[in-house]
Amino acid sequence: MMFLPYIILSILWLSLIAYAVLGGADFGAGMWVLLAFGPTKEQQRKLIDMALGPVWETNHVWLIFLVVGLFSAFPIAFSVLSIVLFVPLSLALLGVVMRGSAFAFRTHAKRRGTTEAWSYVFSLSTIITPFFLGVSAAAVASGKILVREGTVVANLGTFWLNPFALVIGAMAIALCATLAAIYLTVEATSMDDTEMARTFRLRGLIAGAITALLGALGLLLSPPYAPQLWQGMLNHAIPVVAATMIIGLGAAAALYLGYYRIARPLIIAETAFLLGSWGVSQFPYLIPPDLTIDNAAGAPSTELLLLIGIIIGMLIIIPSIFYLFYIFKFQGSMGVLEKGNVPETRVPGRGTKVPSLK
Amino acid sequence: MPPLLAARSQMGTSLVFHIIFSVLGVGLPLLMFIAEGVAIRKKDPVWFTLARRWSIAAAIIFAIGAVSGTIVEFELGLLWPTYIRYTGEIIGPMFAFEGFAFFLEAIFFGIYLYGWNRLPPLVHWLSSVPIVIGGAASAWFIVTTNSWMNTPTGFQFKGNQITGIDTISAIFNPTTPYATVHMILACYVACGFGVAAVYAYFMLRGRRSDYYRKGMLLALAVALIATPLQIVSGDFNARFLSYAQQAKFAAMEGVFKTASHVPLHIGGIPDPATEQYYFSIDIPNGTSILAKDSPNGVIKGLDAFKPQDRPNPIAVHLSFDTMVGIGFFTLFVVIIFWALYLLRRRVFPENRLLLLAVLLCGPLSFLAVELGWMVTELGRQPWVIYNFLRTSEAVTSAPFLNISFLVFSAVYVILAITLIALLLRQARQPLPELTWEKVTSQSGEQEYEEVGV
Repeated sequence: MMFLPYIILSILWLSLIAYAVLGGADFGAGMWVLLAFGPTKEQQRKLIDMALGPVWETNHVWLIFLVVGLFSAFPIAFSVLSIVLFVPLSLALLGVVMRGSAFAFRTHAKRRGTTEAWSYVFSLSTIITPFFLGVSAAAVASGKILVREGTVVANLGTFWLNPFALVIGAMAIALCATLAAIYLTVEATSMDDTEMARTFRLRGLIAGAITALLGALGLLLSPPYAPQLWQGMLNHAIPVVAATMIIGLGAAAALYLGYYRIARPLIIAETAFLLGSWGVSQFPYLIPPDLTIDNAAGAPSTELLLLIGIIIGMLIIIPSIFYLFYIFKFQGSMGVLEKGNVPETRVPGRGTKVPSLK
Repeated sequence: MPPLLAARSQMGTSLVFHIIFSVLGVGLPLLMFIAEGVAIRKKDPVWFTLARRWSIAAAIIFAIGAVSGTIVEFELGLLWPTYIRYTGEIIGPMFAFEGFAFFLEAIFFGIYLYGWNRLPPLVHWLSSVPIVIGGAASAWFIVTTNSWMNTPTGFQFKGNQITGIDTISAIFNPTTPYATVHMILACYVACGFGVAAVYAYFMLRGRRSDYYRKGMLLALAVALIATPLQIVSGDFNARFLSYAQQAKFAAMEGVFKTASHVPLHIGGIPDPATEQYYFSIDIPNGTSILAKDSPNGVIKGLDAFKPQDRPNPIAVHLSFDTMVGIGFFTLFVVIIFWALYLLRRRVFPENRLLLLAVLLCGPLSFLAVELGWMVTELGRQPWVIYNFLRTSEAVTSAPFLNISFLVFSAVYVILAITLIALLLRQARQPLPELTWEKVTSQSGEQEYEEVGV
């Protein structure tokens, strides 16, 4: 049964990706509420509300599933992380609470002043959570959480405060904003609001560029701040990292050219490969340098029951999630190869615009 | 505040807050399911409007429930890392299963709330079924884990090492059948009375249309079925505790010395320092008869346990007695209501005193839920996993616990105030014109605009 923890960890990693591309985009959308400006400010917010409303709670459950999955399958790891990352995780949690309640309050409080106030709470809290989750991830990856005979050795207050962790936190914010902007180009086009789609196309390009810059900076900082991760990446994650970069460029190109329905899966793949390259780089460690996947795993009988439960649960949940997204995201959506209306680009020799399929 | 007290206060506050939303999250979908079902069958605009308005209230309540539940899941680790290490390893999968139940609720709630105009009526109505099932299943999974904390089974503990883990036997620990049934019934009782109280309030303020009567009738019908069952289930629980969790039982009934012919102390203060009882009404042999069916029944007192292993009987006893008292009071009210309704051949009793009593039952039922939880949790102290792990050994070594407690408490206060204000404003909104065509043609968006909270 030695392979059980690996299967469960893979499922948890996929859930992490699901949370990043779904929940992360919801956080990103919150940031665009804060940054909504110009004459279409109100329409921008309305589009975001309509996009988030039916799905944000479901997207949020991935986080709960991650937490409980982690403490069921890797109890020691969860207990160690709870102690050393008490401050960043508590702050991330605070963001989760304020975001969720503020969203509910602002959608259902149609009185102007109340809505406005909760909008600010909503959008500010959407920045807190991705940042501190990013910081926590970087703290794990940095390999400074020492565990000796089951007890934690670390400077509990501040060890997670270093340039590498801060850059990764900022990158998490930028990535969420990119995801949201790209999804919103599709949502806007589906509602025939090409002007809005163009607004979010531009924002997606800017946020994506910032994400890429911060990613590069994080890579530069990892040899001094996360040496083990750097070594692991050099040893066995180069292809994944290269793929991440290529997919990122692809997503940017599709977005630039207005193929929003293609940019959407590409940015999802980009996020998946980014998180995947972290996982592959730190393999076989769960919390480097002391906890490996093997020695953090719980009892085999518990893991087996957990796996059976997860399989049954997923068989019910995955089709239900598809049904939810089918109703609210795919029914009446723009076509896959449909091209959005993008501003004329003056490339020499390419004077004509490709006609839209609409 | 010492770290242990800060951690316990934060956990306690979080649960006091969250339990209200989880109870509503289990109970409200059942009311929506019934109301919409009747509406579709009879093409009745009043039932339809009830279901629709409940769904808007539920949307806000669910959102707060989802995030406050997330706090609790995180806090299991953030505040009690040692506890979660044992619990995770032995019975952790239950939390994962609860995660799936929660997924089910969240997915179909999104469909239900935003699908009023996108789905055919029958499909829309059916989308409430997974919410009802998911709610009850979540309650079952979570309370099962709590049951295990009270009567832990399915592992051996040797020299700080856990061996022989058997999660299935941990899940079916002796407390599970008693506690899970009691909690799920509590959700339906509290929701029934809670919703009835809202309509009682408006009827007392002079609004007496079919809308308020039907809303109250359905809520009190659920309460009429669930409340007697809950009292029977409570009796089963108490008898079970009298042999399976004797320290808790002794604290509940305020029994200091092991003896037969133990009286039933109603109310009063059992002072653990002097081992004396103050201000109680005593029924001779009562506790012995209730627990053991005979005045000769021997009840273990707190003296059977080492001083450091005893729960504090004051809070446990008072919580228990108040909960039981509320249970009988609400049963009395709901029976009077239905007796009057049926005796007068289905004329709705609009007696002011009765409406006041129904109004009172709402908050009281929720108070009973909180108190029942206090009995379980405080009665288990000083243990977090009974007889294996003390609460003081489970607490985290992380810093800033006081600040964390303060911040989260402030958040709960803000959320509670906003939520109550919003729900009240929503409930006060004038009703739409109640014709079938009118209520079914409204889009969700319009509904919000019109409700205009």
